[in-house]
Amino acid sequence: MTASSLAAGPACPLPIAEVERVQLGHGSGGKMSAALLRDRFMPLLDNAALRRLGDAAVVPVATGQIAVSTDTFVVSPIEFPGGNIGSLAVHGTLNDIAMMGARPRYLSAGFVLEEGLSLDALDRVVAAMAAAADLAAVPVITGDTKVVERGRADGLYLNTTGIGELDPVLRPSPDAVRPGDVLIVSAPIARHGMAIMAAREGLAFEAQIESDSASLVPLVDLLRGDLARAVRALRDPTRGGLASALNEIAAASRVGVLLHEAGLLIPDPVAAACEMLGLDPLYVANEGVLTAFVARDRAEEALAALRSHPLGANATIAGEAVADHAGLVVLRTRIGSRRVVDMLPGDQLPRIC
Amino acid sequence: MKYLDEYRDAALVRGLGERIRATATRPWVLMEVCGGQTHTIVKQGLDELLDDCVEMIHGPGCPVCVTPLEQIDKALRLAQDPRVIFTSFGDMLRVPGSDCDLQQVRARGGQVRVVYSPLDALALATRNPDKQVVFFAVGFETTAPANAMAVWRAKELGVKNFSVLVSHVTVPPAMMAILDSPDNRVQGFLAAGHVCTVMGWTEYEPIAARYRVPIIVTGFEPVDIMEGILLAVTQLEQGRAEVENQYVRSVRREGTVPARSLVEQVFELVNRKWRGIGEIPGSGLALRPEFADFDAEFRFGLQDIMVDEPAECHAGDVLRGQLKPFQCPAFGSSCTPERPLGAPMVSSEGACAAYYNYGRLRREVGATTRAEWGSAESDSLTTDDSPLTTDDSPLTTDDSRLTTDDSLVTVPVPEVPR
Amino acid sequence: MCLGIPGRIVDRRDDRGLPMGVVDFGGVRRECCLAYVADEANVGDYVIVHVGFAISRVDEAEARRTYEVLREMSQLDELDWMREVADQGMSMLGSPADPAAAARETGG
Repeated sequence: MTASSLAAGPACPLPIAEVERVQLGHGSGGKMSAALLRDRFMPLLDNAALRRLGDAAVVPVATGQIAVSTDTFVVSPIEFPGGNIGSLAVHGTLNDIAMMGARPRYLSAGFVLEEGLSLDALDRVVAAMAAAADLAAVPVITGDTKVVERGRADGLYLNTTGIGELDPVLRPSPDAVRPGDVLIVSAPIARHGMAIMAAREGLAFEAQIESDSASLVPLVDLLRGDLARAVRALRDPTRGGLASALNEIAAASRVGVLLHEAGLLIPDPVAAACEMLGLDPLYVANEGVLTAFVARDRAEEALAALRSHPLGANATIAGEAVADHAGLVVLRTRIGSRRVVDMLPGDQLPRIC
Repeated sequence: MKYLDEYRDAALVRGLGERIRATATRPWVLMEVCGGQTHTIVKQGLDELLDDCVEMIHGPGCPVCVTPLEQIDKALRLAQDPRVIFTSFGDMLRVPGSDCDLQQVRARGGQVRVVYSPLDALALATRNPDKQVVFFAVGFETTAPANAMAVWRAKELGVKNFSVLVSHVTVPPAMMAILDSPDNRVQGFLAAGHVCTVMGWTEYEPIAARYRVPIIVTGFEPVDIMEGILLAVTQLEQGRAEVENQYVRSVRREGTVPARSLVEQVFELVNRKWRGIGEIPGSGLALRPEFADFDAEFRFGLQDIMVDEPAECHAGDVLRGQLKPFQCPAFGSSCTPERPLGAPMVSSEGACAAYYNYGRLRREVGATTRAEWGSAESDSLTTDDSPLTTDDSPLTTDDSRLTTDDSLVTVPVPEVPR
Repeated sequence: MCLGIPGRIVDRRDDRGLPMGVVDFGGVRRECCLAYVADEANVGDYVIVHVGFAISRVDEAEARRTYEVLREMSQLDELDWMREVADQGMSMLGSPADPAAAARETGG
């Protein structure tokens, strides 16, 4: 890319076949855009609805009400151990739909590409999206691509919107938790956030930490049917970590949450990385963890159900909802003392003290 | 993690708590100097285990909390300079200056980067020759060797676009200022284990002798803190006043000599202002004249900035242990973690932030036993009414119903399934 | 102050005269400056690291010795603690109606 070709504007004079990087022309709606779609997106995301390439996709849904969720992903770096922004964006939106108890059916994908982004990187992102969508049997039925000038979009921003069909019985809600309900956490925590930290420059360290980004749909499926009525709330604790998710539920349901430190699993390298940076794992993002509040009398069954799946093999009972300290999350430490786990005002920052 | 996990052993911590209770024949007042120790005490609820026999007053050992307002304002000025990439430890990002903080400056377009090590800041300078990289060199003696090395290397390698904004403070003068204060209640100290790792403990021997206070060089894990408290209480019961080392795995009497040596070559002792406390003579470090080139204050002409502290923030009284955070009129009303007036509410181990979170539990849960949190009858947070010590408290729930699989709860963290 | 955590030196090298190394912290590795412990710490030794600098070598023999003393000293208290744990229902294992069983299962 030379200065003169940039000055030439969106109608790039270079032959389409030879470009290695995203250019402004790819977002202009002209031949370059069409080629990007045809040569890079379609082969990977191919499905009947997408192939029609209408302004909107037309698809059937089975239920009178649908669940809709949208999320925009701006993670940097766009590629990290355990995934990339593409797989993250698919998993994230599938999970948001699933947390309503709904079955995800369709996805859309909106890309904002930074001029200069390597097309190889874009291929890897789209391939990961496609793989994640295929695994979940949820097609990407419509999409959009824009390109912005170099220096914006941090490589790539990605929005996914999901549509899901509500389950007739499984209708969890953050305000449905009652004292006595049991908290189950499906997997070890703090992996995603620390994997991202490890991949970021400035706080660089080698770590065997992979993001846990995964679709939680198979785990939610295990809670349908007979168990469904006992499932009060489902949440995947992403930004803000477990602490923030539990605080939101405590506030919405107006209950206290008692969290047991001994019931939480944190893999050794994740714990070590948190130590080094002075971060509390309770506030670190997760992308493959399910938290469920379940009626006490069905809790053991729910736990067994989750443990029957590889994603939930290490599920634990990590706490309970209580009538006291409504709206507050309290941690019982391993030594038996208690402290409040509050929401943080903003991001957790690494510290030296 | 080795040399960490063993010092978090719950049985040991509670056993030490028993020992302390059995040793103390009367209540004692101790101060832990270091913010990292405050963090552990609050996070692990260690003062709950101490009941009425030991009151812990949280010391000013939080360099974030004591960085004077004018240094923050200088940092903000530099961060807003388009020629500058301003680098800092994460701790400093939300500390309020006179009208904003570093995070807000970053939001407005200032180049502010968090680094883990001062050498990272130096590397940033070599990678960005067309920018000025300034590093916010904040800390106690623990961090001085790292900051000294960054400056030393910059000089050695001839890096021209690197400088440091220094705000270093030292512990012994602060301890003496506290002990000299007419309403001082502190009877013994837990000295900061990593400060002493670098400096050794010889400086504390005259203090222990002169003021007749035991000083225990203590680590940071729950077992360390409890053992340190036990040693202090034992000395107090026996009428001794000596320096003792609890943190033997890291601290030797002479400290780490090569570190002390380089610190002495790069820095000199000066008078320093402590936010909320005022000037304490000989309590700070500044770059020696040979390294003045690397002093950001000279390079950017900031030496004359002076700022007065807002009257409403009582951080100084809190830092000196004169005021409990909840006794400050602004506490919880005009000063909260979301909108802090002073540093102890910002910093993760600042006393005010700790009390704000921890204290909420006492307020809400202790409602049946105390009318109001921080009632006048007792200064101590830990009273006999604490729900944790009464058997009929609704909060000591029957956890036995919660888990079905013993092995998962008692076995340490397993491998990540993948 | 502050965050100094123990790690094991797994590699040493020289960076233009400055002793540097890789330190392993329970599975996470980071490059650290070893200048201040260069004379006493080698690959395999544990050091305390603060902001990317090793500030001391962990005295493993001393650590072991004092930890043993500590354990012995609180040994007698362990039975009391186990009983206390059972009474307060803090054990997450047995039913509180059977404190003896809970005490046995809690272990040490």
